[in-house]
Amino acid sequence: MTTPVLICDDSSFAQNQMARALPSNWDVTLSFAANGAEGLDALRAGKGDILFLDLNMPVLDGYEVLEVIRREVLNTMVIVVSGDIQPEARTRVLALGALDFIKKPIDAVKIGEILDKYGIRGAPGAAQPEIDIKVDALDRVQEIANVAMGRAADLLARLLGAFVKLPVPKVRMIEGSDLHMALSAIESSTAVSAVCQGFIGAGIAGEAMLTFTESSFADIAKLMRHEGEIDDNAELELLMDVSSILIGACLKGIADQLDINFSQGHPVVLGRHVNISELLDHNASRWNRTLAIEIEYRIENRNINCDLMLLFSEDSLTTLHDRTSFLDF
Amino acid sequence: MSSSNSNIDGFHWLLDMVQTLDVGLMVLDREYRVMLWNGFMENHSGQPAAYVIGNNLFEQFPDIPKNWFQRKAESVFLLESRAFTTYEQRPYLLRFKNYRPITGTAEFMYQNMTLIPLLSPDGKINHIGVILYDVTDIAVGKQALETANSTLAKLSRTDRLTGLNNRGYWEECLQVEFARFQRTKQLSTLIMFDIDHFKKVNDTYGHQAGDEVIRLTSKTLQSSIRTTDIAGRYGGEEFGVILIDTNAEQCQYLAERLRKKIAALNVGFEQHEIKFTISLGIAEVSTAMGDHAAWINASDQALYQAKHGGRNQSVVFTG
Repeated sequence: MTTPVLICDDSSFAQNQMARALPSNWDVTLSFAANGAEGLDALRAGKGDILFLDLNMPVLDGYEVLEVIRREVLNTMVIVVSGDIQPEARTRVLALGALDFIKKPIDAVKIGEILDKYGIRGAPGAAQPEIDIKVDALDRVQEIANVAMGRAADLLARLLGAFVKLPVPKVRMIEGSDLHMALSAIESSTAVSAVCQGFIGAGIAGEAMLTFTESSFADIAKLMRHEGEIDDNAELELLMDVSSILIGACLKGIADQLDINFSQGHPVVLGRHVNISELLDHNASRWNRTLAIEIEYRIENRNINCDLMLLFSEDSLTTLHDRTSFLDF
Repeated sequence: MSSSNSNIDGFHWLLDMVQTLDVGLMVLDREYRVMLWNGFMENHSGQPAAYVIGNNLFEQFPDIPKNWFQRKAESVFLLESRAFTTYEQRPYLLRFKNYRPITGTAEFMYQNMTLIPLLSPDGKINHIGVILYDVTDIAVGKQALETANSTLAKLSRTDRLTGLNNRGYWEECLQVEFARFQRTKQLSTLIMFDIDHFKKVNDTYGHQAGDEVIRLTSKTLQSSIRTTDIAGRYGGEEFGVILIDTNAEQCQYLAERLRKKIAALNVGFEQHEIKFTISLGIAEVSTAMGDHAAWINASDQALYQAKHGGRNQSVVFTG
């Protein structure tokens, strides 16, 4: 008998990877949903006896889907597939009724093991037809960012001993003027601090920028058990500690997935000994349009806002897209 | 055989490079014992590898801020992620003295530091690598630039002849003070004053004598006000003073003292003795004023009355 299987993930690239990772001789009818709301509609229509569910999605996220499934007693077995690898995320979804939790990037062997563990994979049937999902280049980068973000969040959560709420990373092409605006905003506000760090490896280069709202420092200091007054120097220490970890882990997450290594330059604190308006003048015409990944980290129940932006140099885009396209197979 | 020889060769080259690199390298184990200490570290610390290797870093160098360093290092061991510190956080990890008598520009070496996790064959992080960069020239350069910038900023605010704030900057201060009053309703008072018959001084004794009169007036003014008061040269022989948290009555006390001091001055110029006086207009800030210009205008009106009343006197604006 054919098993209806639903893959619910906002990334077409992740949908594709997930579909390809299913055992080839498993007799299933595959459906796809791009967010939690679509996923629930498909479940109600009986399209998902088994649901592979992502956590970070627009409209309705994975946690909310699990709550609705429980409330409406929808008949499905849920396996969460997520880049959010904080132990707390796993605990939460299992408590909400998920059968199991698989870490992204998706691993076919691991999927097979889990299907066998729960006896889900029935008698072998006909081979799967060729899956044909159109994957857009930005979408691949988005999924890679998603996994890297999850790793960085896991480290941050361990450092701070708190749960990090993960957003959907924004991946988009930005204009020089967008960066100009972002930097001007930092310059005009004393309430924001920023650290930048360059990276380069295997033909891919860029710079990471982490920005903090000033009001975050009090809570970060508490979580990191910083003693004494939070003066300028203490803020600098906290800023450097958190940026080392977030930028480092995110870059490593990306590098591992692409099977490359990045060299990292020394971090630069904007605004201290670095005049932002000079940066603005010098960078005005160096590039036109390039790829940016933006991730907004928030700490649950704490007033901590820190935003990470990775900006790739214009000439790394071809290499980046070439490297990521290998991941389709 | 030849391949193993070339491997050994390669290893020697690599060691030579590490030893010669003009960057500090050390490796620490989980107990903070030093496992590697390259030539840079030997030469700048004055402690050869043989004395350092195997010893606890903090016992060997008690000046290292132990808690600070450990906090960074533990996160590298635990999270297996690199850590970076800049000379702006702490100028140095180890105090290496300036070693260049000619081109050295600081007392000690400013250092940036990178901590990296080192993977052991068992797949665990049992060691960390510490890299120290000499960034003295960068640090000193940035400091020099900042000093130059602040000097420039000061120059652009200062009147060359008198050393008082120039008109542009002084008027900015007045605007800020006016805005502060609108917010806090904290009283301030403005004095505008000028030198009586200044044109006559210039015509009789020449411009250099006039300059000397202006200089001496400024000097007397500066020595008569408090550090919180803001004095500026408003025009040729016209001056303005903002007195923060001061009402008109208190202000007139100061104005009168200044007027008498100046009237008692004798400016010696060549063989001449020049005597001169000033007239002052005083206006308290008030909610009736729409902007700082109205405030100046009020003081100017009082000044006009002082002139009209026979000069060498101060008048408080009464609206």
